[in-house]
Amino acid sequence: MTEGHARHDRHVIALMGNPNTGKSSLFSALTGTRQKVANFPGVTVEAKIGTARFENSEITVIDLPGTYSMAARSPDERVATDALLGRIEGTPKPDGVIIVLDASSLDRNLYIGTQILEFGLPAVVALTMVDVAESRGITVDVAKLSETLGVPVVVINAPKGRGLDDLKSTLHRTLHHPGKVLELDYPDDFLRGVNTLYNELCDLGVKLGFKPTRPEALRLLVDGAGPFFDECEEVGGEEFISKFFEIREKAAGGRSLSMHEAQTRYGAIGKWMQEVKQTETREGRTRTDIVDGILTHKFWGSLVFIVVMGLIFQSIYSWSGPLMDAIDGSFGALGEWVGGMMSDGALKSLVVDGVIAGVGGVLIFLPQILVLFLFIAILEDLGYMARAAFLMDRLMSRFGLNGRSFIPMLSGFACAIPAIMGTRVIEDRNTRLTTIFLAPFMSCSARLPVYVLFIAAFVPQMKVLGFIELQGLVLFAMYWVGVFAAIPTALVLKKGILKSKATPFLLELPSYKTPRLKAVGRTLWDRGGSFIKRAGTIILAVSVLVWAAGYFPHSQEVDDKYDAQLAEVESAYADSILEFNPEEDADSLLAQYKAIDDAHEERVAEAEEAAEDDDALEQAISESKAERNAEMAKLAAKSADAEQALSHYADWKALEERRGEIENLRGGEHLEDSFLGRAGHVIEPAVEPLGWDWRIGMAAIASFPAREVIVATLGTIFNLGGDEDEESETLREVVKNAERKDGSKLFTLATALSIMVFFALCAQCAATLAVMRRETNSWKWPIASFLYMTVLAYIGALVTYQVAHALGG
Amino acid sequence: MSTGTLDKLPIGKSARILDVGGEAALQQRLLEMGLLPGVDVTVVRQAPLGDPIEVKVMGYSLSLRRSEAANVQIETTA
Ligand SMILES: Nc1nc2c(ncn2[C@@H]2O[C@H](COP(=O)(O)OP(=O)(O)O)[C@@H](O)[C@H]2O)c(=O)[nH]1
Ligand SMILES: [Mg+2]
Repeated sequence: MTEGHARHDRHVIALMGNPNTGKSSLFSALTGTRQKVANFPGVTVEAKIGTARFENSEITVIDLPGTYSMAARSPDERVATDALLGRIEGTPKPDGVIIVLDASSLDRNLYIGTQILEFGLPAVVALTMVDVAESRGITVDVAKLSETLGVPVVVINAPKGRGLDDLKSTLHRTLHHPGKVLELDYPDDFLRGVNTLYNELCDLGVKLGFKPTRPEALRLLVDGAGPFFDECEEVGGEEFISKFFEIREKAAGGRSLSMHEAQTRYGAIGKWMQEVKQTETREGRTRTDIVDGILTHKFWGSLVFIVVMGLIFQSIYSWSGPLMDAIDGSFGALGEWVGGMMSDGALKSLVVDGVIAGVGGVLIFLPQILVLFLFIAILEDLGYMARAAFLMDRLMSRFGLNGRSFIPMLSGFACAIPAIMGTRVIEDRNTRLTTIFLAPFMSCSARLPVYVLFIAAFVPQMKVLGFIELQGLVLFAMYWVGVFAAIPTALVLKKGILKSKATPFLLELPSYKTPRLKAVGRTLWDRGGSFIKRAGTIILAVSVLVWAAGYFPHSQEVDDKYDAQLAEVESAYADSILEFNPEEDADSLLAQYKAIDDAHEERVAEAEEAAEDDDALEQAISESKAERNAEMAKLAAKSADAEQALSHYADWKALEERRGEIENLRGGEHLEDSFLGRAGHVIEPAVEPLGWDWRIGMAAIASFPAREVIVATLGTIFNLGGDEDEESETLREVVKNAERKDGSKLFTLATALSIMVFFALCAQCAATLAVMRRETNSWKWPIASFLYMTVLAYIGALVTYQVAHALGG
Repeated sequence: MSTGTLDKLPIGKSARILDVGGEAALQQRLLEMGLLPGVDVTVVRQAPLGDPIEVKVMGYSLSLRRSEAANVQIETTA
């Protein structure tokens, strides 16, 4: 290749190697901020693509997930091979590869190293962790290593920025003058098997749609299963398969082929290492050994673990609280502000209740996601995640999960969204899918408002066994409903759909490292961004759809009816009262009376928060009332005008109340008349056995964008307006007194329990389903989850209602 | 000299691997991770709940379940 040609060339480089070897650090050091997450269709693993510059050339770098071997028994494991050979759609074919090797465990790192070298792509070895190796008394002769492998070796330390220029220039040279292909000393029968199979594959080549390579023939021969095998079976049929097994048997010579492969590779590596590596045995234990002595200790280790997990849970739960309130508050304010500038109508409602509320509903999840990933990123970088998995594996394996499932499951109690995103730490696909499926069963914080409303309204305040609050007990039980449902679900998944031959849980416990702020920040940025981009759009779309279903057809008839009522009410009042606007006429006498009244209401609200019991509250209210009356009387005594204004104020207040009532009735009727309300009526027969009526059924549908929406929807349908929350006394009272068509009470304890159980088990959360779709890259899982959980919730609520009802609840 | 399986090796003891068996995928994984005949392995500790165990092999720490370690045949020289 000429110099002129090299000027503007573009190259594609893949980064490969074991996990925890410093690939991502190198990737970041090479590409800086010019990187994005690559979307590999149909798989759950993730790679990143970025660009690096060297002199005049531009290098596209692909950071592949770390693996210990190129063996491809599952589609996910196949990704490494496919990416290396440029067979992934939308991802460029690499012209070369940087093999990242950890000097402190060079032997094991070289295992995949030899596999990659056999593919014969131009390769450079980046040797990392030389500092760690030296601290353990290991020295690596870099020149010897390079000579032995037949490719250049460059020592780097990406976090410290060392060796990067050398790596880039070496890479540049190698791309133009590649080294030799590695050849290992396989047993004769084995090698003959590889060659025979390779020829067979070449014969199949046209039908396969790609040209097979010799290393792939080796993989197919040894792995004997997996996606490549399936493809060959499909195009080659019976004939190929019988030939394949014949070749295999001959090549194996009575032993296992993986044994041949491993012994050949590790045999060669062992021989090389005698020349390349020197180990001087050090007295005493390494830092990692000492720390592990504590962190995996029976007592201290468990204690630290409990404290760390408690901290994570507490943080997701409470640190994110203020942030979420802030988001909620600012979007509420934004909605009001924008709403104030628009005239009433469908567009305003769409913008305020559909779009702004929907965007707020997406962003509200960010704090929890960021807090969880802050911990995951730090603990992963530190090396503690592997220890946590080590500690919890026994417990989690009982449910078909593994130690890595623990943190996502725990996070599920705060919110299923970060929990599902957190399953990325689980390498095994089936375990990851099981964990994703189970996470929404954990009772998240969005269910709390539902519990709080119904427990406060229907569960009597009393103690059982003398000291346990019954209300608290019911709340506690609700948290267990999900767990109890999750256990058999896990076992069914494990035995059924996701049956895996007890996937091995071989876990490297890497040495402890100091977490780097930049890498942690990067993770947070990536996770937050990918949530907003990929899940956010779906959540927003669902919010707008449900808004539309609750808004339309918004018939003129209803509006006319209430406009007429309003006009009638208003006709009894003088213009001065009708037009009084407390914000504009702030100095007027009316406004002064209103200020006195507002102060009274504020005192009452404070008392409601603070009061110990009903008696104290009543007293506080009557005291405040007396104060208000006294102040008003004082103002009225000042002049005749003031006295007259007092009676005007009373009129205005009565008018305001009537206006509010009419607006709430209007909202309620629009909702009943809406598609959502009609849907409620349609499903009424189905939800009747749960003790529900159409209003509850509708509220359940309306809560699809997010469970807590049920509270506001009930507020609207009971004509209280949409601003009620679960702490609202009025809502509690109204709910208690609501009646069915026949005049009987709508809500009983049995109905309340049935609603709570339904919400404990249902998948009424568009965000969860959207994230599930994002993380599994398929609609299959969210749909399955929704159907399964809805059926389960229905049965759970049915049984709860029927039993509680029979017991007289 | 005595032979046995890795899951039975007491904590703190070392042994040499004689053979590695198990279902194909598991055997392959064990071999890839460096547990193969002729290699020395030391049991470092067990998790507080008794399973999995941590072993040192080829200079690094590996955690594996006892059921998996049962597929590794070993001999102790002491
Ligand atoms: N001491 C030392 N630490 C390193 C070196 N390279 C990377 N690290 C650290 O090793 C850890 C794992 O690195 P990462 O890039 O995430 O590895 P990956 O799993 O291969 O992507 C991080 O904490 C890095 O800061 C190195 O050469 N020396
Ligand atoms: Mg990485």
